[in-house]
Amino acid sequence: MFRALYTAATGMVAQQLNLDNVANNLSNSSTSGFRRRRLQFQDLMYQNLVMPGAAATQNTTVASGLQVGLGTRTAASEVIQAQGDFNSTGNSLDLAIQGTGFFQVKMPSGETGYTRAGMFHLDNQGNMVTADGNPLDPPITIPPDALTISIGSDGTVTVTQPGQTQAQQVGNIQLATFQNPGGLNSVGQNVYLATTASGDPITGTPGGSEGLGTLQQGVLEQSNVNVVEEFIQMILAQRSYEANSRVVTAADQMLQQLNNLSR
Amino acid sequence: MNSGLYAACAGLVARTQALELAANNLANINTTGYKAQAPTFRSLLANVSSNATIDAISQAVNNFGVLGDSRTDGMQGSLEHTGSDLDFAIQGEGWFAVQSGSGRLYTRNGNFHVDHNGHLVTGEGNIVSGAQGAITIPPGKLSVSNDGTISVDGALAGQLKIVNFAPGTALTPAGNSYFDAPAGSERAASGQLVQGSLEGSNVNGVTAAVGLVALQRNADLLQQALTAFHSNFNRIAAQDLSRI
Repeated sequence: MFRALYTAATGMVAQQLNLDNVANNLSNSSTSGFRRRRLQFQDLMYQNLVMPGAAATQNTTVASGLQVGLGTRTAASEVIQAQGDFNSTGNSLDLAIQGTGFFQVKMPSGETGYTRAGMFHLDNQGNMVTADGNPLDPPITIPPDALTISIGSDGTVTVTQPGQTQAQQVGNIQLATFQNPGGLNSVGQNVYLATTASGDPITGTPGGSEGLGTLQQGVLEQSNVNVVEEFIQMILAQRSYEANSRVVTAADQMLQQLNNLSR
Repeated sequence: MNSGLYAACAGLVARTQALELAANNLANINTTGYKAQAPTFRSLLANVSSNATIDAISQAVNNFGVLGDSRTDGMQGSLEHTGSDLDFAIQGEGWFAVQSGSGRLYTRNGNFHVDHNGHLVTGEGNIVSGAQGAITIPPGKLSVSNDGTISVDGALAGQLKIVNFAPGTALTPAGNSYFDAPAGSERAASGQLVQGSLEGSNVNGVTAAVGLVALQRNADLLQQALTAFHSNFNRIAAQDLSRI
């Protein structure tokens, strides 16, 4: 009975984590470039009371054995790489990636961060930076007298300046992709960092031969959280939690019966 | 007969002590920076005389189960965003070091204030240790980065230090969310500071509640054993047998 108690406890803890994940997904349902996470559960180890395949007699073996599971554990939270919806803002520094790839930004610690959120601003020197002030890598500087900024689908940034008919090219936005984007380390602020699990970044031109996506100017990629799916996960978590707590109550009542035996 | 009675009694006392630990955990389910304590039971061999050889039966019946230790659970508590510039949480391993009247203490509770001298202090007035002793915060907008660099209105004002200990260092609770450690055991920490958040208690409601149920039923079983010895055996021996 105590085994049932602890097994049910693992189920409840797992569903708590499930609800935490759902809460995170729902709270980020309007975060630009957010990728939702889904938890993966695994069964915990088994207690072998009778090993399957053990010898029953000289000539026969046990067909299925007697194994009692000890609960569940949360194995991983995978990032769902589905493309989010596009929101047309008309802002010339808003970019969305159609396809695979991440923008590269230089973090204050010196390492390169990767992000899908394409909301860029200009700092006091004209560099394209994120809302936290982290510049794009390689950096793009817009001259102060630029009239319009055009960013092509292959990342070419051109500006028109007063007194010149021809647009001037000021830089090329490069994207990066990974062998395993699910292995990236989420550090918040819409930024991911590379790890040994994700592999080394493969950089290139948007729409080029590396299979990177193309850029869309004036559009932002929304979060890929599906609210309906999250609500269903929430209902599943709640009912599973309730079922496990019923097991705790049943085990408790059975223990009470046991104690009453000798009264 | 006596060893059975005392074995059941020792077990019941141990369960009561474990229940007190569980109640303490549940009472602190909202305390900032609280680390849950888990009981460890161990068996104690009673009645061992040094020159007699112990037979197996004697060893078995005198093997009492007592509360041996309480382990502090080092898991990270959940971060609660408060938005206050003087609230800090440590993400990962590390402790804030404070200088108190009774020596150097360590805590995970980052709910700090500025006293009348401008020093960064805890809620009880203990001075928080930075890289060079006390930290003076001038008036202005306080901003602290992940590695502890303090800047006020853009100007550097000091370094908030987090320390860590070698794994297995005995940290004893000293009350008020403080912990005491052996002198000289501080090392550099790898955790990151998060400004504007507080670390909640790491007590898991589910495991605490289920642990409570298991303890209660365990204690009940022991109480039945105690009753069997006292009410049944003793009564039969003392009263019924004498009437034969």
